[in-house]
Amino acid sequence: MVSDISQLGQSIEAASAGSDAGKTKAANSVGEAFEKIYEQTARNLEKADQQAVQANTGGPVDLHDVMISMEKADISLRLLVQVRNKAIDAYKEIMRMQV
Amino acid sequence: MDILGVMNIGYSALKAQTTRVNVISSNLANMETTRTPEGGPYQRKSVIFTSSSRGFAQELENSTRQQAEGVEVQRIVSQQGAGKMVYDPGHPDANAEGYVEKPDISLVEEMTDLMKAKGSYEANVTSIKAAQRMAIKALEIGR
Repeated sequence: MVSDISQLGQSIEAASAGSDAGKTKAANSVGEAFEKIYEQTARNLEKADQQAVQANTGGPVDLHDVMISMEKADISLRLLVQVRNKAIDAYKEIMRMQV
Repeated sequence: MDILGVMNIGYSALKAQTTRVNVISSNLANMETTRTPEGGPYQRKSVIFTSSSRGFAQELENSTRQQAEGVEVQRIVSQQGAGKMVYDPGHPDANAEGYVEKPDISLVEEMTDLMKAKGSYEANVTSIKAAQRMAIKALEIGR
């Protein structure tokens, strides 16, 4: 029984040590992923914006070019908002945790 | 992303159909044209479509999604052959017998083609809208 408990303690220690090592990496990867999604969304929005201006100033773009880039930008923006909501929900959940 | 893939395929079709409508309106505009830079009357033009496969990456992607391919205009061909001869001796391009060679373009045919192009364009807009609605529905999972 006692040995069982001590083993449990060891495994908890090991787990926390492991998570310490992994923590910075995990935090980075979540941040990086978010950053990537954000960058892609910003790029999509920028492209849609440029095409809308070009279409209005008689540039070499068709209406469907503009509409499709705007649609893509819209979807990626919605995705970004959802990812952000999830991340904030998770953060709040963790902050509410009783220690 | 696959839903954006649907959009890309639909987009390629929209582009192709726009080119087709361009060619049809060119045919309609030049129904009576007897002079062209190449000489002779205007020749009726039509578009040739081909399924698009751009490079290896595209091919690889296609093979993983059941060979879904977009479309693109391969080329625009001019119909060869003589136009229809219309008797009009006063016309500057009339030949010795008083006949003028005019493009062999049928108004009915061009209008039917135009309706088909329009229908196809609308169908592809519908598929793009379906893809968009699917994407938005998928995002609702998280709500």
